[in-house]
Formats: sequence, C-alpha cells, structure tokens
Amino acid sequence: MKKFSLVEFSVDHPKLIVALSIILTLLFLTQFPKVRTDTNPKNMLPPTSAVRVWNDEVEKTFGLYEDMIVLGIQYEKGILNPDTLGKVQRITDEILKIKGVAARDVSSFTTIDNVTVEGETLKVSPLMTTVPKTDKEMFVMRKALFENPLFIGRIISKDGKTTAIYVPLEKGGNGKEIADKIREIVKKKFGDEHYYVAGDPVARDTFGADMFKLMAVFAPIAGMVMLLVRFLMFKDLFLSITLMMDAMISIVWSMGLLIALGFPIHIMSSMAPVFLMAIATDSMHIFNEFYFRFREKKDKRAAIIATMSAVSRPVRNTALATAAGFGVLLFMNIIPVKVFGGLVAFGTIALRVLSFSFIPAMFTFVKDEKIEKIARSEDISAGGMSLFLRKLAGVGIHKPLTTVLVGVVLVIAAIIGISKTVVNNNLVEWFKKGSDVRVADTVMNKALGGTSLGYIVAISDKDDYIKTPEAMRYIEGLQRRLEKLPVVGKTTSVVDYVKRINRVLHNDNPKYDAVPENKEMIGQYLFIFAMSAKPSDLDNVADYPFRKANIWVQLKTWDAKAMESVIAAVNDYRKENPTPMEFKPAGIAYFNLVWNHEVLWDMVKGLILALIAVFAILAYDFRSIKWAMIGYIPLLFTILLIYGVVGFVGKDFDMPISVMSCLSLGMAVDFAIHFVSRLRQRLKETPGESLSDALLWTAARPGKGIMRNAILFAAAFAVMLFAPLTPYITVGAFIVSMMLLSALMTILYLPALITLTQGWLFKGEAR
Amino acid sequence: MTADEIMKKSQASFLYPGADLKARVMMRLISKGGQERVREMMMLRKNYGQPGGEQKYFMYFYQPADVRNMTFMVYKYPGKDADRWLFVPAINMVRRIAAQDKRSSFVGSDFTYEDISGRNLEDDAHAVVKEEKIGDRDCTVIKSTPKTAEMEYSYKLSWIDRTSFLPIKEEYYDKKDELYRVFSADEIKDVKGHPTIMKRSMKNLLSGHMTEVSFLKADYNVGIEDSLFTERFLKQPPKRWIE
Repeated sequence: MKKFSLVEFSVDHPKLIVALSIILTLLFLTQFPKVRTDTNPKNMLPPTSAVRVWNDEVEKTFGLYEDMIVLGIQYEKGILNPDTLGKVQRITDEILKIKGVAARDVSSFTTIDNVTVEGETLKVSPLMTTVPKTDKEMFVMRKALFENPLFIGRIISKDGKTTAIYVPLEKGGNGKEIADKIREIVKKKFGDEHYYVAGDPVARDTFGADMFKLMAVFAPIAGMVMLLVRFLMFKDLFLSITLMMDAMISIVWSMGLLIALGFPIHIMSSMAPVFLMAIATDSMHIFNEFYFRFREKKDKRAAIIATMSAVSRPVRNTALATAAGFGVLLFMNIIPVKVFGGLVAFGTIALRVLSFSFIPAMFTFVKDEKIEKIARSEDISAGGMSLFLRKLAGVGIHKPLTTVLVGVVLVIAAIIGISKTVVNNNLVEWFKKGSDVRVADTVMNKALGGTSLGYIVAISDKDDYIKTPEAMRYIEGLQRRLEKLPVVGKTTSVVDYVKRINRVLHNDNPKYDAVPENKEMIGQYLFIFAMSAKPSDLDNVADYPFRKANIWVQLKTWDAKAMESVIAAVNDYRKENPTPMEFKPAGIAYFNLVWNHEVLWDMVKGLILALIAVFAILAYDFRSIKWAMIGYIPLLFTILLIYGVVGFVGKDFDMPISVMSCLSLGMAVDFAIHFVSRLRQRLKETPGESLSDALLWTAARPGKGIMRNAILFAAAFAVMLFAPLTPYITVGAFIVSMMLLSALMTILYLPALITLTQGWLFKGEAR
Repeated sequence: MTADEIMKKSQASFLYPGADLKARVMMRLISKGGQERVREMMMLRKNYGQPGGEQKYFMYFYQPADVRNMTFMVYKYPGKDADRWLFVPAINMVRRIAAQDKRSSFVGSDFTYEDISGRNLEDDAHAVVKEEKIGDRDCTVIKSTPKTAEMEYSYKLSWIDRTSFLPIKEEYYDKKDELYRVFSADEIKDVKGHPTIMKRSMKNLLSGHMTEVSFLKADYNVGIEDSLFTERFLKQPPKRWIE
C-alpha cells in the first residue's frame, strides 16, 4: 500500500489546498479584533511569585501607590520666580481635576505639607498657598525650601532650577491617558520652561504604543524587504509572493491562535511575526532544489515530487530543531517568554505543514517556460555565489588544520570575552537615547533624587519598636550609609519626619535636627506629625503598630544592579551593627532585580535544554552521534563568538540578549542539518566521487540555499536595526550577525572538520 | 422651612446642644487593609453665646499610650480662623498651632478639624434637594455648595433628620463630581433631653480609609468653668475633668 503523501495530494489538488489555506487564515483573522497588549514589566512574573506577593503586601501595609507619573518642570534661570510658580500652581490645579489621579496625594508646591515655626506658633500649611510676589516673600519661600531636607531633591533641585509634581494614580487609572492630559496641560503654558513627563506608567505605555508601531510598520517592512531580496534571487514575482504568503499565513495562524486563547501580546510575542517570517525562509531550500531538479527532469510534477523527497528530511528536521529551540522556552518561569516560545513553535510547525502542501500546490500554477528560464540561470558552476562558496569550502578542505586552529584561537578569545559579561537589565534603556522617555528620565535623575524607587523595610517583632530612639538612630545611620552609594540619590524615612518636628518644636534650631532622646518624645512628635500632615505621609513610612518602617530609596538609575548594591550595603551595615530588626527589600527596583536574576537562571536552564534537544535532533536526523557532534561545532562556535563580542563590547547581558541564546541554537542548527544531510546523500548517490569533490558540491549547491537563507533572514532582521526600541535593535543585530556568521561557519568549518576527522567519521561506514 | 433654616437648626442640635458637653471619645482609625490605630480622649466643650457663636474645646488624650497627658485646646470663632494650642508633655511645652488648612485631618483621622467643630454656615449656599427616608427617619436632603472655589470638595449632600435635626448621613463630592467621602450617624441616643450621636463614622472611598468615633460616655451641662480653657490647665488638667 502506498503511503499517503501530502505533497502528491497537494500537487494533484492544488486549488483545494489553496482554498483551504485561505479559509483557515480568514478564520484566524476573525480573532484579531480581540487583541490586547500587556507592557507591564510586572507581568513578566506571575502574580503568585514571591516577589510580587511581597511587594503587594508592602504596598498595602504602607498605603503606597503602584503607579506614579512625575512631571518635571525646569527653568534655566531658576524656577523660584512668580511667573514659573504661578504656572506650577495652575498646572497642579488642573492635574488635580484629571480623572484617575489620586488627587489627595499629589505632591506639588501647593499641596505638599510644610510644618514651620514662627515665634511660639507652629504653622501647618501647604508649602505655597499663594504665589510669592515680593522679594521678601520669595526669600521666605527659598528659605523654607532649602532648610527642609524633605523638600530638597524631591520638589526642588539643589540648584533651584527644577521642580516636580508627583501624580499618583488610582488603581486602574489609565497611565497613558493621564500622561497625555498632563502633556496637553503643559503645552498650553507659554514660556521658556521645559516640561518632562516621566514615571513608570509613561514608560510602559509609550513602550506599548511603540510596540504596536513596530508590529504594524516594521513587520510589513521586513516582509517587503524579504520579498524584494527573493525577487532579486529568483526574478519571479509569483514565486516570491508565494513564499511571502507562506510566512504571512503562518503569522496569521499563530497570532490568531494566541489572541483566541486570550493571551495579551507582550513585548516578546510582538517579535513573533518577524521571527516567523525569518523561519519561513527555510522554504528557500525547496525553491533552490526545485530549480536544479527541474533542469534535470524537465517535468514540473516530477520535479516537485523529486524536490520534496530530496529536501523533505532536512526541511522537516530543521523545523523540528527550530520548534525545539523555541519549545524549550515553554519550560521557563517567565510567562511572556513561555508564550513566545509556544507561539513560535506553533508557527514553525504550521510553516512546515504549508511547505509540504501550500508551496507545492502553488508551484503547479507557475508556467513551465518561466521556470525553465529561471532554472537556466541557476547553474552551479556559473553562479557567482556558488563560486564564492566553493572557494570558501576549498579553504576548509585544503587547509583544514590552519582553519581549525584559527577557530580554536577565536574560541579562546570569545571565552575571555564571555567572562567579562555584565548581567544587568535597565528598562529605561529599552528606549533610545534621544527618546522623550529617556531624556525625561536623564534630566530628572540629574536634578532630583532619582526616578527608580526601591524600599528597604525594617521589621521588628515588637509593637512600637520603631518609635524607640535606638531603632530611629539605626535607621538614620543606615540611610546615611546608603546615601554614600553613587547610585542612591535620596532616602526618606519616618526618622526624617521625627527630626523635622523636633527641630520645628524647638524654634527651628538646627541643633534639634536629630533623633530625640526618648520614646515619649518620638511618640508625641509622630502624633503631632499625624495632626499636621496628610495621613498618607506617615502611613507611607510606618505601619500602624509601628513594628515596621519603610525606607524609601531613590535610585538614579534603572540598572537592576543598582538595587543589588543597595541590598549589599544594607547587609554589610547590619553585620557591622547588630540589631533585632530585619531588613527586606521591596519596590519596583527590587522587582527588576529579581526579575533580572530569574531571566538569567531561566536562560541558563533554557540553553542547557536547547543544547540537549538540538543535539538529540541532530543525532536522530543523522542517525549518528559522530555526525551530530561535527554538525554541532559550527553552531557552538557562532554562539560563543557572538557572546564573546557582547562581553568585549561591554553590552549588558539583559533580557533580550539572554532570550536569544536558546533561539539562536534552534535556528542556526538548520544550516548544519542541511549541509550534513545533503553531503551524505550526495556521497550515497555518487559513489565514485572523492570526499573533497562531494564537499565542494555541497558547498556550492545546498550551500547556495544556506547562504540565500541566511541573507534573507539577515535582511528581514536588519529592518529591526531601525526600530525605536532597543530590545528590537538588539535582537535584530544579534540575529543578523548570527545568521551570516553561522552560514559562513557551516560552509567553512564543516568541510574542514569533516576532512580532518574523515578517518574517524567514516569508520565502519560503507565508504 | 428653607434650607438655610434647616441647616441652622441642624447646627444647633448637632454642635451646640446644652451649655457644655463632656464626652469620653474613642476613635478607631482603620486602614483599607484592616490595620487599626486608636485615639482615646476626653472632650470638653463649652458654648459662648448663641448656636453658631463662639465655642471652646479642651481635649485630653489617653491613647495612644505615648501621648497620654497630651492636651489640645481650641477657641472657635464664627467667621474667623480658630486658635489652637497643643501641650507636648515630653518636652513640657505649649505651642500654638496656626493651621491655615481647616480641611486637614484631625489627629490622623478621616475627620477634618472642620468636621469636628463645624463649618461656618454662611460659607456655603444651601438648597433643599429632596425628602428621603433613611431607615425609619424622615430626612430632608440639603445640598451645600461652598461659595469659594478653594475647597477640596465641590458640594456636600446632608440628610437632616426632620425630628432631631441631626445629620444622619453626609456625602462629599469632589471636583470631578464623584462621591468620595461619606459620614454616617450610626447610633443616636437621648442624653439629658438632647438627641446625641453616640457612634459615627467617616469613610474615604478613595483611600479606603475609615474612622469610627464612639462616645463611651457623654453628658451635658456639667458645669465646665471658663478657667479650664487656659494654658495653665492645658499643662495640668484638673483630675475631675479627665477621670
């Protein structure tokens, strides 16, 4: 009984296959309007993860807001003038009216509490109730600002040129809408002041918008570039479009499935279309072979079937390897990475099904004469690229030892580079240098205390312990220690408030800007503070039973390692100064740190899994461990070289880079699979030929497919180099270099290695 | 009755009953997450003149423990900022407090100073909105809109009991016209012929924070002498008033 062949069925019923593909595609397309995005970095880890549970608890205990927008206002001549302060007042008033803004806790000149003393009278009021008009009033304001450490670095910069309005959002408030409204408000204010809108929700939502732009603009551009490159290669529009459709169909299927299953599109999955387009280039091998076969067979149907039987195994197995490379991501802890892995693995399999059905079916629609014309130009010996590839392989074959030694030297250099790798992640640096988000962040970090916020929570086991002088002094000491770190801009704790009240009660005498001597004083000062300030001010820094205190640590950088140095400093301080209190980090800066570590360990795990999976697939495909090892080498070589360069250049080993490691394995292995399987097939088919000749043939014929594949792949990803977001640029650069490098490595190093080890490789084989 | 007349009667029965008042007050400040802070105090109040006129307040704190012996005194004048004094026992010092912001929180609770001592009736425009029953009480709903725009709320609705004239419920609407603060009188008892709110609460819907106030004991016309409201007694309150 003859086995059912999808290829033959498709060639015999081409219209049915094409119609089916289109209907399925339309079905998946109906899911698209339900699309949702999720750009909140928090969702990188599940809500049940320890760090999120702890952060939620801290937020609840201290009544903290999850999201805060910061509006920076800068004026070169100093903001302390009636005109600018008038603007601050009006802008604040308008911000308070925006829906979704937690108006009661907005901090600005007109809303922040100021406790001062005049004679015997304590004065409690917002810092600015009316705009100071006279020089004398302005002098009083200046004094109030610069003598109060709570204000410096928060609502006034040391140089007096920058102020900020802190706008916390209610739960569920739309960050983008509110930021846009704030931008509208400041746009109407004329003058020389500069306005900067910063903060987590702004970055997140800008990222989301850019991400969509990227999907809607860059993916199609990448598609067009590939179409053009293909057209230049094959000089046939119909076939080029066929290949393009193949990619498009699988993109629609997988994105449709993703949306239908209710997953939001995250930064990772937004890259899937470009990945699928690139993976689709593997069908290049079918075309490549088809033209050669057609010249030999002169019959379209026979050529198609012969082509498919020649390339089916490598094409199938490369798909398997690619799917496995992405599939291992399903074992990660980071949800968006998992989703992305599953998505691309599904798309890859869809692509392969299409390669064996849709593509052969489409072939039947091409006129014979046309194919003949193209096929004629596809001559091994004449083709410029084939000549180059023969030469390249020749170097490997004739000087194998030198080639390998050069490789060994490069690997050693790469390992040195890898040892210099810096593990870090910086969300703000996901934006380009000149971008609004990045500029705003840089300006604010320079002028004020720092935009990245971490917390150190002091925990004791006794109620009211925080009110004791020893706890207060301890926390104060810790704050001074933390402020010595270059990454820390400002720290704030309950101690600062107690000290402030102490000073104010003692007629503003700077001598009393210190922790009071006994617990009664502290308790009473805190009570006075609670009477004079917004309740949230105290809640933010101490819990109700005064068992816990929350130290705010403002960091001047979003580097994950910044928080690491804070935690290390806390631990050192605690070692040197024993205390019954425990200290636990929290906040978004801490979350970024945890997430960063999580990504790294996930990726180490993923890489090991991918290495095993890919090796297993190679061994299965070649039915030989030896050949699998040989095929493995160019792949490892490429990856080592790229990470070596990353290490040498000093680029942070961040999320996009680490995710790339598993993916690249799955994709770069394709070339080795094609090369080795076609070489062995050739050796079997032409028994008289020498090994060097067979190698040269492989380099020139399937090698051309490999090279074309790599160039197409690189062309598609090169588009990403112009993306507005750095993770996409990183991914683009990584894939472009990896594809080109691994194609070259395959064609240069496989012949060299096979020549060198032929005695061992072919031992026991019938050759 | 006009809205203004109702509000005037309400002010008299809510804030000015009797010649004076002695009440032991327990305040529970409850956070959204269920954490609690307690304030316990003796509140002594004396009227000077007609309802709506001058009043003096004397407060002595029992809890939290570390503020025991702290006292707080307020002279309230119609149409003028109140004078406030605070005695801080730990440093044995009396300080005047000039709080420009009447809307700031009273000892960290959800009640503002103004909620405790009352707002000047002329500062708002009052209008009857409707009649409505709350429980078995017939109430008139009054809308009070501040005449100056500087208030943090845009208007307040009060449910005034038609028999006792006590506010049974109050709703505060913010600048975005959204309800954000709710007062409710939860238990009313007759004390020496004056219907008195023994339990009340104020809930902030935005922060989820809430304050419950109960009068553990309350008595009118107890004969508070004028001399109590002086700095001398602020530092050393007479035993009979704080026991």
